[in-house]
Amino acid sequence: MQVFLQTFIGGVSLGAIYALVAMGFSLVFRTMGLVNFSHGNVVMIGAYIASTFYLSAKLPFALAMAVAIVVTGLIGVFIERVLRPLENKDFDLMLIGTIGFGIVLEAVAIIIWGATGTAVPNPVAVAPVQVFGLRVRTYDLVVLAIATAATLLLVFFLQRTKRGAAMQAVAMDQAATAVGIHVGRSNAIAFMLGAALAALAGGLVGPLLYVNPSMGGTLGIKGFAGAILGGFGSIPGAIVGGIAIGVLDAFAAGHFQGYSELVTFVVFTVIIMIRPTGIFGERTVNRA
Amino acid sequence: MKLRVAGGRSLRSRVAGTVALAACAWLLPYRLDTYMIHVANVVILFAILAVGLGLVMGIAGQINLAQIAFAGVAAYATAILTTRAGFGFWTAALLAILIASAMGLLVGMPALRMQSHYLGIVTLGLALAFTNWVTNAHVAGGAEGISGIPAPELPFVDLRNDYFFYYVELIVFAVTLAFGLFVVHTPLGRKMRAMRDDSLAAGAVGVEVPQLRMTAFLLSSVYGGVAGVFYAGLIRYVAPETFSIANMFLLLAMVIIGGRQSLVGCVVGAVALSLLREVLVDYPTYAQVAYGSIVVLTVVFVPTGLAGLPKRGRALLRRIGWLRSERGVVPRLGAFRPYAEEPPRNRGNILRLADVTMRFRGLTALQDVSLEVAAGEIRGIVGPNGSGKTTLFNVVSGLYRPTSGRVLLGERDMTGLRPHVLARHGVARTFQNLRLFPLLSVRENVLVALDQTSVLGAWRYAVWQPGVWRHNRALRAQADELLDRFGLTAFADSAPGELPYGTQRRVEIARAMARRPRILLLDEPAAGLNGDEVRELRDITRSIRSSGVTVVIIEHNMGLVMSLCERVTVFASGRIIADGTPAEVARSPQVVEAYLGDSAMSEDVPTEASR
Repeated sequence: MQVFLQTFIGGVSLGAIYALVAMGFSLVFRTMGLVNFSHGNVVMIGAYIASTFYLSAKLPFALAMAVAIVVTGLIGVFIERVLRPLENKDFDLMLIGTIGFGIVLEAVAIIIWGATGTAVPNPVAVAPVQVFGLRVRTYDLVVLAIATAATLLLVFFLQRTKRGAAMQAVAMDQAATAVGIHVGRSNAIAFMLGAALAALAGGLVGPLLYVNPSMGGTLGIKGFAGAILGGFGSIPGAIVGGIAIGVLDAFAAGHFQGYSELVTFVVFTVIIMIRPTGIFGERTVNRA
Repeated sequence: MKLRVAGGRSLRSRVAGTVALAACAWLLPYRLDTYMIHVANVVILFAILAVGLGLVMGIAGQINLAQIAFAGVAAYATAILTTRAGFGFWTAALLAILIASAMGLLVGMPALRMQSHYLGIVTLGLALAFTNWVTNAHVAGGAEGISGIPAPELPFVDLRNDYFFYYVELIVFAVTLAFGLFVVHTPLGRKMRAMRDDSLAAGAVGVEVPQLRMTAFLLSSVYGGVAGVFYAGLIRYVAPETFSIANMFLLLAMVIIGGRQSLVGCVVGAVALSLLREVLVDYPTYAQVAYGSIVVLTVVFVPTGLAGLPKRGRALLRRIGWLRSERGVVPRLGAFRPYAEEPPRNRGNILRLADVTMRFRGLTALQDVSLEVAAGEIRGIVGPNGSGKTTLFNVVSGLYRPTSGRVLLGERDMTGLRPHVLARHGVARTFQNLRLFPLLSVRENVLVALDQTSVLGAWRYAVWQPGVWRHNRALRAQADELLDRFGLTAFADSAPGELPYGTQRRVEIARAMARRPRILLLDEPAAGLNGDEVRELRDITRSIRSSGVTVVIIEHNMGLVMSLCERVTVFASGRIIADGTPAEVARSPQVVEAYLGDSAMSEDVPTEASR
């Protein structure tokens, strides 16, 4: 029981990070109907920038994270700007374009930081907290707190601000242009916010995993798996799905060691075949 | 006649080009040292993989990021079967290709239910799962991989020699490319291209979209399997990193840069990027930046890739006047040749809707609609924009599953069946804003609908290709007959987008009629037509009805509705408000109120809210 709960909490903490990645996927998808394949690599870039500024420039962890968010946000805007001519024309091509960006980002990371990874020390060097007889790593609690705060901010932005409401409208109806909503700007903001969430996830995941150039692939796919599992495009879905994948991951790692990834992907594929719309139902931008 | 001569010449130059290329490829080893011949052998394997990926992505339009993993499955299967189970190379190879195809079916299974965008990540996830397995599994040798795979044996030649291996590979490559091209130009590939261009319209003309998507995955996995087997035979050592995601993206870049919609383009891309990689062999990371950037630039600026360049170049030369335009004479639309009269194949009601309701997230598009259409009639459906007319067609043709209520065709309950099933039961339709397959010629548009064979019949491709070829010839003859009937012969080889709007409308009707449907649904067929074209449309519709086909027509052109239809059903706000002869309906007070009161205001709204 003790082990079970301990694994569970570790899974939830990692899952919160997957949820942040999943929200980035969902935000871009619900705004413009695109699966952004470079998202995982943006997470990786965010992780590197945060860890570099934290380790080499000796900036406080929070400040290093802020730098990472700004830089990746700009990367997001850049990607959207380059691929803008393809918007509403050919989504398959656009998707492949984001794969192209992912390839470049990974190579750039290898050029800057080298092919081997970096271990990031725990920025919250406090002894584990005892909760109901369970030892919980303080960093896990920090991750959960930051992820929750970011989620609340995002939901506030989408539901309470004019800009966020406009983005919803774009998701609902491509004819939003007709009522004067600047679709290009909404898409750029979606990409920027998605990239910012990616940097947040990357920064937070640094101390938990080993930061290396190929982490983008795995993190991206697990985040995406979370997004689909919850119902692609839905923000609550992304949270629930991301955490579910995190917990699945933690238990798979405990039981199947090296095969954990295999188990996670296979379980995910099976679930998605049984219920393609995910837990919170479908929110696809259907162009029929 | 002139056109045919030109076609003959281009065919002859193509044959000459192929022979020259084949001769070059055959003589190439004489100019290569032992290192370069090895490189060439790897390039050919990439070319085979690229053709397979081109088939699934460029031809069928399904994103597949597991192509390298298919090769990995086959290579590992060969390695395990030869070194651990003691099979001979060729037996192991055959089994390995079968295993890879089984994986193809397995990976393609999500395609039965999922959108193509999701597929990208699902296939990527499964590919990662594969590398994860081989890196960990004891039987696969873990991170070290498996060495000591025996070389394939052939009588008289020693395949441990890379030069001999080159020739074997070259022949295999030629066969796989030829087979790929054969698929593309025969019914299976044509259906795939139609599905890629517009999967909705493909379903509506009877293409079994889900099964076809799975077939595309199966096909690409066979290519992956062949490449994997020869990889194992060539290198005689397999390790996880060979089948990594990085190499998958390299392969993807090859296909995109070469031009995914052309198999030859895919090969060109594979050769070009392999050579680039060879030049930058000491700087693999910079090579990665280079090909990633080229992928981005390609999708934005040259979506058709290298394969599309000749066409673009010709268009450019023509624009600046260095090349004269192709045709001097503008082809003309011919007259429609009426069908022979036949009594309707059904008696009584051919179509019956019972209390059909259709809701979309709170919006009710159809409310308790009950409707009966007698066999052999021409039924008009009128109503203001947004009154649910097109939704009705979408329900009847299977694009929407009604929230409640039943749809009967003859005596059979057809509620909620998939569009292609309904098409096979004799429902045909056209679309309000034209859904022709843009990258298929007019003839091919008709051919897709003409082919009645099921996707399951694709086994013939593996067993008896001349049969497929003959079937294709027969279809072409039928297509030419149909095009002639609709006066479209002059446009047979044109792309639909090049035709005048009214001609495109006629092509769509011809395509809908290709299947000899029992009931034809025309969605605003007169929209955008001039007076002459509307009169021709009336004659065509009448002849179609006389040939025994029931016609239901949504139309805003009241003159056409009044003169064409026996009965008219009037919709307003998702309900039927009147039903009767044109004269009765025109007198109905509700119609006068709803129609005149509403349509005067909604006349300017270009699209229907229900779509």
